[in-house]
Amino acid sequence: MTNPFDDPEGTFLVLRNDEGQYSLWPSFAEVPAGWTIAKAADGRAACVEFIETNWTDMRPNGLVEAMGG
Amino acid sequence: MTAVPGAAPKKPSQLQDVWPLSPLQQGLFFHARYADASADVYTAQAVVELRGALDTGALKAAAATLLRRHANLRAAFRQRKEGTPVQVIVREVRTPWEEIDLTAHPDAETEADRLAGRERARPFDLAKPPLLRFVLLRLADDRHRLIFTNHHILLDGWSTPILQTELFALYLTKGDDSGLPRVTPYKNHLAWLAKQDREAAEAAWRDALAGIEEPTFVAPGAPEPPEGAEPGRVRRELDPELTRALAGRARAHNVTLNTVLQLAWGVLLGRLTGRGDVTFGAAVSGRPADLPGVEQMIGLFINTLPVRVTASPQDTIAQALTDLQGRQADLLPHHHLGLADIQRLSGIGTLFDTMTVLENYPFDPEAAGAELGGLTLHGVGGYDASHYPLALAAVPGERLSLRLDHRLDLFSADQAERIMDRLERVLRAVAHEPDVPLGRIDVLSDDERRQLLEGWQGEPVGRVPETIIARFAALAEADPDREALRTPDGGITYGELNRRANQLAHLLRARGVERETRVAMLLERSADVVVATLGILKAGGAYAPIHHSYPADRITWAVAEVGAPVLLVDQAMLHRVTDLDIDAELIVIDRSADLAASPDTDPGVAVHPEQLAYVMFTSGSTGQPKGAMLTHQNVVDLATDPAMRSGAHDRVLVHSPHAFDASTYELWVPLLAGGTSVVAPPGRVDAAEIERLVKDCDVTGLFITTALFNLVAEERPEAFAGLREVLTGGESGSVAAMRKVLAACPDTALGHVYGPTESTTYATHADMRTALANPDETTPVLGRPMGGMRLYVLDEALRPVPSGVTGEAYIAGSGTGRGYLHRPALTAERWVADPFGPPSARMYRTGDLMRRREDGVLEYVDRADFQVKIRGFRIELGEIEAALTGLDGVAHAAVLVHRDGDVKRLVAYVVPSAGTPVDAPALRAAVARRLPDHMVPSAIVALDALPLGPTGKLDRRALPVPDLAGAAAGRAPETADEKTLCAVFADVLGLDEVGADVSFFDLGGDSVTALRLVGRARQAGVELTPRDVFTHQTVEKIVRRASADADIGLEPLLPIRPIGGTATKPPLFFVHPAGGLAWGYLQFQAHLPADQPVYGLQSRVFTGAEPAADVASLAADYVELIRTVRPHGPYHLAGWSLGGLIAYEMACLLQAQGEEIGMLALIDSYYGQDLGSAERDVLPEVLGAIGMDPEAVAPGGEPDVPKIMELLAARADVLSTLGEDDLVRVFHAYQAGIRQAETYEPGAYRGDLLYFTALRDRPADAPAPAEHWGAVMTGRVAEHPVDAGHHALMEPGPVAVMGPVLASELDKQHANLTNPQAGRIAR
Repeated sequence: MTNPFDDPEGTFLVLRNDEGQYSLWPSFAEVPAGWTIAKAADGRAACVEFIETNWTDMRPNGLVEAMGG
Repeated sequence: MTAVPGAAPKKPSQLQDVWPLSPLQQGLFFHARYADASADVYTAQAVVELRGALDTGALKAAAATLLRRHANLRAAFRQRKEGTPVQVIVREVRTPWEEIDLTAHPDAETEADRLAGRERARPFDLAKPPLLRFVLLRLADDRHRLIFTNHHILLDGWSTPILQTELFALYLTKGDDSGLPRVTPYKNHLAWLAKQDREAAEAAWRDALAGIEEPTFVAPGAPEPPEGAEPGRVRRELDPELTRALAGRARAHNVTLNTVLQLAWGVLLGRLTGRGDVTFGAAVSGRPADLPGVEQMIGLFINTLPVRVTASPQDTIAQALTDLQGRQADLLPHHHLGLADIQRLSGIGTLFDTMTVLENYPFDPEAAGAELGGLTLHGVGGYDASHYPLALAAVPGERLSLRLDHRLDLFSADQAERIMDRLERVLRAVAHEPDVPLGRIDVLSDDERRQLLEGWQGEPVGRVPETIIARFAALAEADPDREALRTPDGGITYGELNRRANQLAHLLRARGVERETRVAMLLERSADVVVATLGILKAGGAYAPIHHSYPADRITWAVAEVGAPVLLVDQAMLHRVTDLDIDAELIVIDRSADLAASPDTDPGVAVHPEQLAYVMFTSGSTGQPKGAMLTHQNVVDLATDPAMRSGAHDRVLVHSPHAFDASTYELWVPLLAGGTSVVAPPGRVDAAEIERLVKDCDVTGLFITTALFNLVAEERPEAFAGLREVLTGGESGSVAAMRKVLAACPDTALGHVYGPTESTTYATHADMRTALANPDETTPVLGRPMGGMRLYVLDEALRPVPSGVTGEAYIAGSGTGRGYLHRPALTAERWVADPFGPPSARMYRTGDLMRRREDGVLEYVDRADFQVKIRGFRIELGEIEAALTGLDGVAHAAVLVHRDGDVKRLVAYVVPSAGTPVDAPALRAAVARRLPDHMVPSAIVALDALPLGPTGKLDRRALPVPDLAGAAAGRAPETADEKTLCAVFADVLGLDEVGADVSFFDLGGDSVTALRLVGRARQAGVELTPRDVFTHQTVEKIVRRASADADIGLEPLLPIRPIGGTATKPPLFFVHPAGGLAWGYLQFQAHLPADQPVYGLQSRVFTGAEPAADVASLAADYVELIRTVRPHGPYHLAGWSLGGLIAYEMACLLQAQGEEIGMLALIDSYYGQDLGSAERDVLPEVLGAIGMDPEAVAPGGEPDVPKIMELLAARADVLSTLGEDDLVRVFHAYQAGIRQAETYEPGAYRGDLLYFTALRDRPADAPAPAEHWGAVMTGRVAEHPVDAGHHALMEPGPVAVMGPVLASELDKQHANLTNPQAGRIAR
């Protein structure tokens, strides 16, 4: 069984929620509530790179605010 | 010929012809032979009700004519020694006809059903033709029922109506077929098959199946169906609207209804197996459009072929339909390849265990009724069983009618109904929503979906955001004197622990620790571990415990990885870190003067519940560990979970390594609830130590890894008796061990817990005392998600799988950690958007495969990314382990796969119960009784204990590689055959020696290595079949095996049409030509009268003898042979080429013995010619003689035997059934024959000679036959020229010329016999 997140040939989105957390997401699946598309459909490697580049603070937004940025 | 019912001819084996089998027949043949079931699932039945006055005699006559017209209905199926199956067409058979009068029966209808069932249950013997039966039931004077039962190998479902139509046409003529069109013989189909481009077909199928990784099984590891079991059937008629919509969908996309059904089944199958790339079987008619008359032929054409549905979840239904149709159309020209061959090409073996068939048989019994002289036909039913766990049949009509056959031992009627419901939902989606991606087709009902996603989740828990430190501080303030820690040195109160942690927190703050700062720690187990952990949290930081087992380099790496400004150690661990090159400041907690001087007041750091509490390293598939980040809230959620707050976990034993996530439970579950952590002394604890601590320290709860639990369960299960609950988990558990503990500790609960570090230690909990109250329970279930947690079992398209279906587990809700430290991308791959939870939620993808039972209880299946596969089967090693531990005398077991070159061996390691010696062969035999053969370990190794790794888990790498030499030893081989075969066994299995009495399968052999064994054995000159290996297993037994059918077609005296029955005249003996086989003469039968017996004489090289020295010794041998069936003359003899010389010599010999010769016929035979035997290259001639292009298969005179075999195999004629070894014997016989012909000096024959001269390609120096033979004999030479070359004389054209000449001569001879005075041959 190949997990859809591991498919090297798959097409993916990068999703982001309101806590600023990112999720790789296979493009065939509906985007779950509370998530927006941070990067449009692309190959897996490109999506992974996008996340590495953009998700620099892995704390959720709520915590970042509470800690005063 | 008219059949006389009940009067069997004396010799039923009158050989008319020998044919190869079609690929499909071969498949059925082998399946029928392997499955030694008494009721063959390949028995088919058609039942027709006849209303009106019936002429029984006419119907019987019609049936007899049917058998006479269709040669293939008179076939027997047998196997030669080298494994080639052949169908032997016998000249005549009795018509199996039975009439039963039920007019007086009180319940004729039931009785009729019973009789039909009886007919289905009566097996056919493949060696005894015909493989069909008629039973006519008389229900009333004007009501009959005809039950036609046949073996599937004879004819398929498409043939049945054709056969019925012909039967009733013959009924009208009382069996006279003079008005019927000629039968297109099944042999034409075999010939058509031979002409197909096998290579192209193989390429096409290889292509179509490329990339399939594993078979699609809805019932993996299913045992053989129980004997005589008939499948269950669930039927569903779709409403006319849906039926029309489906037809419309097919039309709209220019695909067939079959494609629509196949796509639907493929989609459903994907959901039933949790996979995106599925394969199933589909029945195809197998009737090639370019074979003239094929639509009216009777026989086995139907083929079962793999259909692969690989549609991605994002493809729309419309796209998927078009794709599937396109791929199916590409394969259409290649439908002639047999399933077994196709599966071999895939490299997987059996590809599927479900199939579909669209039944559009072109017959309507009601419509056929009008012209039968008042008789009308009514279909009553038929029966065409399959052995598949699930088989879908669809019958088109105004309402598409679906039937799901299911093996009742695998699927209940309820389950089959539910599968049908799902199929219908898929079909509705296909019919109405062409633009919906496949991934969004829902096979679940709304209720099922709600149950899976909501009903079977953890209880909702009302929680408020909270931190570890706030909760602890509140407890410390409320009751500072309460015991927080119990250590070997005494107790520590909440107040003291709080103060000491505060001191550390102040010190850490001073050393730069802030909120979210990771602090590395490496401490021996003691109270200081708890102080340090709490102190780090109070400083706002997160603790990062380092594994004690880490080597120096990795400690350095870990400290840097977490970015710790401080590394906390104690004096005991100091030596591990003193020489390390690390930037972090060392604080030695048990001798730091600064620490002692720090204030013990609360440092007052504001900590948020979402802040990091700890980072724990887990092993990563890429080599470097990854740090899972868990928060305060995660920990508080675990500590406040209802399962943890039962009171059982108020005094918890701390014995796990701190770097192992069980420490989260051990520390925080008691300390965040006012309980006590009982800290075990340093080092690993054993069963006795646990028992002591539980007793002495009043421990109420503890967690213990599966492997350690099993060990304790074996050594002293009562060790847990004082506990209120023992938790165990980490690996698939042993039910046997659990039962032992439950029995020994009647007042202790046993919780089976599961959960990855990433979701805070435990995600599910099962109370095993309840679960194992059922004595039949054999699975260590995982139970249900814990409070506030959700566990989804999803398929490849992230949809919830139905109950019973395996999918991957995703965990959401409480406990879901933050991610992996410094690994944003890896985090975004594993903590992914949760489509089923509240907005913005994430779920953690575990990589664990699970399924839910019908009641929602979770079962662990496997790791998704650590599969064990043998012969394409995904093997659940835990199942084998469970089978072993279920045996008496086995305490623990671990199973793994050892790979040795191509041979993969399952090896079991067992720890015997105390005082029980291990009898490995007996254990293996016992396990073999519980598991399918591919799951039975090749070797069983006894160990004193299973090796455990640092965290108490089984250390698989520490298991010893088994030594198979001992198992392979046995009786030394004695005969030459045994020695040869023992050497082959050893070679194939990669062993030095193998005893003659040791089973191939005990040494790691499997079906694939068995095939290799057969090939190597053949190279070594030992003929055997895979079946021999499976049935006899040891060298000794294989060598001794019975070989009843060994030489069919190769016997020295080939009974072409033996004496007996109507064949009563003096027989005609044909003597073989140089190649040694008499098969070429088979076709003369057609030209000789039915009362003329015919035999062929064949070289004994095919039955193991050396080639004879000369013609004289051959003749002497053959005279003895023919005397066994014809003791005295007159004798009729004939022979082609060398055969003519031998026949001539036999005639001379017989005359010398005082016998009379009737006819002597020579077919282009010359003696004393220099045939250049020494230098002559016979290969091209032999090849030419068997109809092959010498240049193609023997370039430069070097025969490419595999190529020859391949070409032979593709031929429809009898030679294609020849084995490779026999082909070599033909060469040898041919070579010897040329020598024999050269040296032959004929004696003086007294009598006339019939001579056929080949006119074409005649050598210039060839002597004139009349003079050549006239010179040595005394009679007249009657010469008949034939317009053909010497080597082409046995082709149908020349035979048609020579046959009537022989017939007429024999006729004359027989007339002479009845009137001896007339025309006596002169002597």
